[in-house]
Amino acid sequence: MRPRGTGRLARCCYLAALTLTLASTLSALDVPSLAGRIVDLARVLPANEADSLSAALKAHEEKTGNQVAVLILPSLEGESLEEYSHRVATTWRLGKKGTDNGVLLLIAVKERKLRIEVGYGLEGALTDLRSAHIIRNEIVPRFRSGDMPGGVRAGVEAILKTIEGTYQAQDHPTIPTGTGLDTSAVHAVFIGIVVGFLAGIVLSQGLRRTRALFGSLLAYLVAQSASIPLGIVAAGITAVLLWLVLWANRGSRSGSAYDDWTWYSSRSGGWSGGSSDSGFSGGGGDFGGGGASGNW
Amino acid sequence: MERSRAAVAGFFIVAGLWGCGYNDLQGLDEDTKAAWSEVVNQYQRRADLIPNLVATVKGYAAHEKDTLEGVVQARAQATGIQITPELLKDPAAFEQFQKAQAGLTSALGRLIAIAENYPNLKADQNFRDLQGQLEGTENRIAVARKRYIDRVAEYNKMVRYFPTNLTAKFMLHLDERPNFTVADEKAVAKPPEVKF
Repeated sequence: MRPRGTGRLARCCYLAALTLTLASTLSALDVPSLAGRIVDLARVLPANEADSLSAALKAHEEKTGNQVAVLILPSLEGESLEEYSHRVATTWRLGKKGTDNGVLLLIAVKERKLRIEVGYGLEGALTDLRSAHIIRNEIVPRFRSGDMPGGVRAGVEAILKTIEGTYQAQDHPTIPTGTGLDTSAVHAVFIGIVVGFLAGIVLSQGLRRTRALFGSLLAYLVAQSASIPLGIVAAGITAVLLWLVLWANRGSRSGSAYDDWTWYSSRSGGWSGGSSDSGFSGGGGDFGGGGASGNW
Repeated sequence: MERSRAAVAGFFIVAGLWGCGYNDLQGLDEDTKAAWSEVVNQYQRRADLIPNLVATVKGYAAHEKDTLEGVVQARAQATGIQITPELLKDPAAFEQFQKAQAGLTSALGRLIAIAENYPNLKADQNFRDLQGQLEGTENRIAVARKRYIDRVAEYNKMVRYFPTNLTAKFMLHLDERPNFTVADEKAVAKPPEVKF
């Protein structure tokens, strides 16, 4: 009697938890994966148009280092445009770390709303005012007359023209994997040295008991000298192990982006359209809410 | 012998401080201050836009005295509050700051709403530009506030969790900080309705 009751209770809890999890996953619109510079989930751009725009954005990045991306959504699904746009921009991390020179052009087709989200580092050139002008004068008139591809192209061209010359691309691009590891490696080595030192002390204490047993000067000298290399070896091994653990953690974290992608693409029969160049990823830029919104 | 004991003690102190969050607390304290500076910065930016906006509206709708004066007064109230480090620690002063900014937000909302009744004002290039800038600033305020809320939540957690609460209380004398409230968040973060 009793075990069955518990079983039912457990099943109820499980179902409740499952429902809650599902509800919370479906309520917020997920950030799509950064499949390329042009992510056209609403499929409003012809393939050749998307390719040529993407090529223009790529050329611009190679010349100036600015990362510009376009996201066209079928619908915001009730989300606020500004909040969602900021979420996408900070998730994609457009722009280089430090210079924050990224721009996102977000278009929601069903709501007939659009926004230019500007990274911290480009707020001086692509001001809120300039963004509003681009939306009002370049994009919206074309969208109103039904020319979506033309509006996107005109908007992107105006953005690129505005931010051209703000930054120069680095001759030797920094390898992005090295930067995040530095502090954790320093920590690992420091902790390793602390632990290694203590281990060395404990081991040398053991050898000192040996000295007490044999009472010989020789053992004492061995203990004294042994503690130093032991400490160093222990520190080295601990440091390497810790570093490996930290490194492995780092790898598993980046794996979650892949899970997001598979969930997203399985959601509505594959929202994968419009990925025109692979191997594009954000450089770690940050966004502070600059830019402008509009509707058509 | 004496020397090695001192070294062991030294290492234990360093490792101990690590464990009880001394560095983390100091770092979070600094992070919340930086996030707060950004909030103040954006509110200031908004206050700076207002004189121009009021002057432009006056040109078309000078007889809307109540609304215009309401904005000027709310701005004076909001900018009149002295921003000191103590403001972050004192819930009452923080509340007052929030209220003053919320008052300015709603006064601005009314101002933008009356603009709807004046087609010439709505078509004015200068007004549209100011409106765009105001909208952008409201959005920045929302972002800065969100970041501050996140930082303070993280900081408050560290101040309350064991054993870091001991470090915070007895060593650094850090207290929980007041945060922006959600109800207020809705009122302030909502940008004035703007139609192009």
